[in-house]
Amino acid sequence: MSRFFAGSDTDSDSSSEEEQIQRPQVPVYTFSDDEEEVKRVVRSAKEKRYEELTNIIKQIRNYKKIKDMSSMLNSFEELQKAYLKAAPVVLKEENGQTPRFFIRCLVELEDFINEMWEDRDGRKNLSKNNSKSLGSMRQKLRKYLKDFEDDVAKFRENPEQPDDEEEEERPEAEPDSDSELPSKSQFTKAPAKQQVVEDKDESSDSDDWPSDTDSSSESSDDDEGKYTSMRERFLKRPGGATHEDYEEKERRKEERRKERKDKDRRKMPKDEEEDGEGEWETVQRGVAIPSEKPKMFAKDAEIDLSLVIKKLSEIMAARGKKRTDRREQIELLHELQNVSDQHQLGPAIYVKIKLAIISAIFDYNPKVSDAMKPEYWLKLLERMSECLDLLLSNPQLLVSDTVTEETENLEEAPYRIRGCVLTSVERLDDEFIKLLKECDPHSNEYVERLKDEAKVSNIIDKTMKYLERSNVSSELCRIYLRKIEHLYYKFDPKVLQQKAGDASVPKDAVTSVQEMEKLCKFIYAKDSTDRLRTRAILSHIYHHALHDNWFQARDLVLMSHLQETIQHSDPSTQILYNRMMAHLGLCAFRHANIKDAHNCLVDLMMTGKPKELLAQGLLPQRQHERSKEQEKIEKQRQMPFHMHINLELLECVYLVSAMLIEIPYMAAHEFDARRRMISKTFYQQLRSSERQSLVGPPESMREHVVAAAKAMRNGNWSACNNFIINEKMNAKVWDLFYQADQVRAMLTKLIKEESLRTYLFTYSHVYDSISMATLAEMFELDKAVVHSTISKMIINEELMASLDDPTQTVVMHRSEPSRLQSLALQLADKVNNFVDSNERILETKQGNFFLRGANQVRVGFVPGNFRGDRQNYRGSTNQNWDRQRRDRNRDKDNY
Amino acid sequence: MAKFDLTSKMGQYLDRHLVFPLLEFLSAKGIYNETELLKAKLDILSKTNMIDYAIDIRKQLYPDEEVPEDLKQRRIHVVAQLQELQQEVEPILQIMGDDEVMKNMENMRDSKTLINFLSKDYKFEIEMIDSLHKLAKYRYECGNYSVSTSYLYFCMLVLPPNDKNYLSALWGKFASEILVQNWDSALEDLNKLREYIDSSPNQFGGNSLQLLQQRTWLIHWSLFVFFNHAMGRELIIEMFLYRPHYLNAIQTMCPHILRYLATAVIINRGRRSALKDLVKVIQQESYTYRDPITEFLEHLYVNFDFDGARQKLHECQTVLFNDFFLISCLDEFVENARLMIFETFCRIHQCISISMLAEKLNMNPDEAECWIVNLIRNARLDAKIDSKLGHVVMGAQPLSPYQQLIEKIDSLSVRSETLCGLIDRKLKARTDVSGL
Repeated sequence: MSRFFAGSDTDSDSSSEEEQIQRPQVPVYTFSDDEEEVKRVVRSAKEKRYEELTNIIKQIRNYKKIKDMSSMLNSFEELQKAYLKAAPVVLKEENGQTPRFFIRCLVELEDFINEMWEDRDGRKNLSKNNSKSLGSMRQKLRKYLKDFEDDVAKFRENPEQPDDEEEEERPEAEPDSDSELPSKSQFTKAPAKQQVVEDKDESSDSDDWPSDTDSSSESSDDDEGKYTSMRERFLKRPGGATHEDYEEKERRKEERRKERKDKDRRKMPKDEEEDGEGEWETVQRGVAIPSEKPKMFAKDAEIDLSLVIKKLSEIMAARGKKRTDRREQIELLHELQNVSDQHQLGPAIYVKIKLAIISAIFDYNPKVSDAMKPEYWLKLLERMSECLDLLLSNPQLLVSDTVTEETENLEEAPYRIRGCVLTSVERLDDEFIKLLKECDPHSNEYVERLKDEAKVSNIIDKTMKYLERSNVSSELCRIYLRKIEHLYYKFDPKVLQQKAGDASVPKDAVTSVQEMEKLCKFIYAKDSTDRLRTRAILSHIYHHALHDNWFQARDLVLMSHLQETIQHSDPSTQILYNRMMAHLGLCAFRHANIKDAHNCLVDLMMTGKPKELLAQGLLPQRQHERSKEQEKIEKQRQMPFHMHINLELLECVYLVSAMLIEIPYMAAHEFDARRRMISKTFYQQLRSSERQSLVGPPESMREHVVAAAKAMRNGNWSACNNFIINEKMNAKVWDLFYQADQVRAMLTKLIKEESLRTYLFTYSHVYDSISMATLAEMFELDKAVVHSTISKMIINEELMASLDDPTQTVVMHRSEPSRLQSLALQLADKVNNFVDSNERILETKQGNFFLRGANQVRVGFVPGNFRGDRQNYRGSTNQNWDRQRRDRNRDKDNY
Repeated sequence: MAKFDLTSKMGQYLDRHLVFPLLEFLSAKGIYNETELLKAKLDILSKTNMIDYAIDIRKQLYPDEEVPEDLKQRRIHVVAQLQELQQEVEPILQIMGDDEVMKNMENMRDSKTLINFLSKDYKFEIEMIDSLHKLAKYRYECGNYSVSTSYLYFCMLVLPPNDKNYLSALWGKFASEILVQNWDSALEDLNKLREYIDSSPNQFGGNSLQLLQQRTWLIHWSLFVFFNHAMGRELIIEMFLYRPHYLNAIQTMCPHILRYLATAVIINRGRRSALKDLVKVIQQESYTYRDPITEFLEHLYVNFDFDGARQKLHECQTVLFNDFFLISCLDEFVENARLMIFETFCRIHQCISISMLAEKLNMNPDEAECWIVNLIRNARLDAKIDSKLGHVVMGAQPLSPYQQLIEKIDSLSVRSETLCGLIDRKLKARTDVSGL
């Protein structure tokens, strides 16, 4: 509270004014110039001591006003000491007579203390500390006053007399106030008295500046006027501490509090102060209706650029302080914007204020993790696009964070403004995602919010255009990545139409794939941080996969070698990688590359929590609870709903591809001891269905696939096909593909082929020969396809048979082992293993085992540059993929 | 047949001078408009110093017009320049004229001692090498390839491998050797160049992009050697398919080279094992490049579509006939392709009618029968001909489970014995050591 008055208008204002005009003067109780010149040397000692005293006295007066007894006690003690110090000077200068102002202070203090003591109600209300101080103060003062009894008595006789002879030329105010002192004691009501004291203080403040007439603050101006009237009132009705006065005082107090709050912005240029009354009114209104728009400048103030800049920096200075009202700041800035608009102060200040508004809006929300309020969001969007529009339309404007405050140029072209549009836009984008995550994805609200996506994209486009002007590649990379992130998950049907040669899409129309290509290539070439490039590549692959550009997507994956390093990147990039893999799998599936589809998806599905891996929702954890922080972090990583990948589709695609691979494999290796599961998840599904004693008709997607797999095992392709492709599955899964019919046709074909293979594996031992025509008829396949399928099986030595061309039949060689034979073969295998392991043990002992292991590794990994181990794609790389991703999953489990 | 012509694609990776043979070949085939080809030639020549040749072509192209003055002027200028350059390197030319010195030079270990030797005895200065290099280039531009070869040979003897001119000297030498059709030394240069490019850290300080570019060029230039040198067919597979760097370069920059690789694999009967790898590559690149030759392999080894393969084989013949590099191995290609079809056929079938076979192989039945008989006689096919039905019956019988079992456990005892032996020996050694 000690800053209460020190920080008030009066002081700060007058001091700032004074400093310019009357700097050489000592602030308080100065002496006239001519005297000073005569006895300068001697005076200085007195001056110094006296100044010390007056300062303390002033402090005491302040404490009196706020009734801070403990501080007053301290000050009083200080005063004693100071007077002790000053005693020699006093002795010399004043002929042992105590200075009058000192006595006055003591007298005042005594009066005050007595008054306080008598006011029992008030004393009760005092804090413990204060009341204790009051007691000790009273005692100390009494003791001390004994030394000055004579002086005090003298003073009491004639309190009107000026403090010092030198100060005789002072204005009337001083005696006035003095004259009031005795009367003051008449009032018992503390507040009223305090008012008086305060008034006195004010006036004495103004007294401090004898030569200063127009530089006094409006409030002191006002005080003066009020003071007179009040004094009159006091004189007339001395008994009543008038209610009106009290009220007014209260109001003023309140007003002062408010003033203090935004003292900076309330600061008035000197010339406006003449219009003190008007200003006073505004403030009052401001107090009455807080929501009213705050006033920036006085009505007739001449508003120019420097003024606005000053104002702006004042407002911005309050930014981030604890007691700053953030909402009010935003309003203030808007008001300032209007003012500068009205006066047409040029685009630079417009942009500057806009940027300030934007950051103020960002500041509004104190928590980083929470989304901002929708109304502010809308405001933010508008401001941002306005700002960018202006920047774009005005090539003279340069906003950059390399511009220092000194080199800022707001007055004339070329304008240079400090700030960073890019950061704001990035922040805005982040906020948008947060907002979306806040909404319930199934509500209308989400849809409403999602409509803003276009606006955000638009803003990013504009920023791109703006940044392309300055052409700083690191910034361009950043904004391009933002653009990419708004682009990569969106499906553009034009791409496929253009590929198909659809007439409705012109050949040269720029599709999103081409745009993506352009943006990504820029980043590949210019980016120096690895992260941006990684994200760009992942998004690029995702986009290619989304648009059925299987080969390009595959090549990008293989060329980037990301699967080797992805586990070292940050979680959000890993999530993007997972999303990319999911889409790559879907794309491979659409292209009938079942093996690749399976390999892409296997790790996502194997853990059983694709939802978490794709950041599409949190799963309850069984082993250990998440801590709150962890949950918060994980929630932040979640994808907004409109970017989700349909998990059922993903799972279905995975299961169907697993079925197409696994079922023929199972049939072929029925008696094989070393048969490995290709897909564990699929296997589990199959097992659990087999365990059921009663299997009903399939309901869910999984049950459908399992039923289809069972049908396929028997070579019943049509049943299998019906289980996979039917109304239910169409609605659940297949219709989600863009060209669903093509996918279904592809599936049917694959099912037929794989069923044929399964059939041959399973039933070849009952046939001696079988006609290809019959097979073709059974599976409704072309004879050529049957021929080619069987040929492949024969060449790969999967089927021990050969074709008989003249009769168009497959002749079985009956080389499938009988049960005993296959057992014998298994035994042989095991013995082989045994010998192998024996040899290996010996090798380990001899120490050259590791050498061999190292060699094996090298075979699988070709450290080529650029395209690297591309040719290994079908071989070992796939396994690498798997292993890498599995590791990463483990990482993810750990965070 | 312009559809499968690769000249335009190859051209961008070849030197101007190396394009001439291709263009000559094309004009002989008459696929393209003759005047257009001539214009293209003239365009290429405009940047070289082969003014006489340019004048000739101009006359061919515009028989009515006079030879423009600036060409004549240029000719004079070129000759003058040549003379000037020749003067500058007079001492070196003298050295080169002296057989004995040359012999000495070849025996020198490294370029430093060589330079010392030369500058001591023969007024040689290292700066002259720059001029010599320039002169060689000039000679090359004028079409005097053999002269340029010898100059560049000298350059390479003297220059240290990290000199900035070394790489271009290598390339120049290689190109000149190709153009004078000196295949042996061309092959030598090719290997040198490849080693130089592949050496790591590379001595010309190129980044990976430049490396890729260099390799791509080398791949294209080397085609001249591979399809003319006797050893080429082996080496092309070795280099293109089994050197990852080059395979990557092919996949990234120039998948059309797959045609040559495929042809080389097909005509190389000894390298059937390479087929599998090749088919993998072809399948991977099928979306960026396909032509009848790669499709033939795809039909035969991926889809086992013999009709398709037969059709493609037919197309292949025209493609080969119109390809500068491949025309020489047309017959060989057809023969081998047939054999491949037949082999695959035999592996799948146990009984084939000769008429069907003849149809699949583009032969008439009698011819086909004769061909099969020859195959059987040369013990390359285990089969019998049933002449009454007109069938070929395969003799091979698949492995019975019994045999499989035998095969599996065949080696076991031997392996166990060696294992025992090893342990014994070890044990002995240990007891010996402890006994001592």
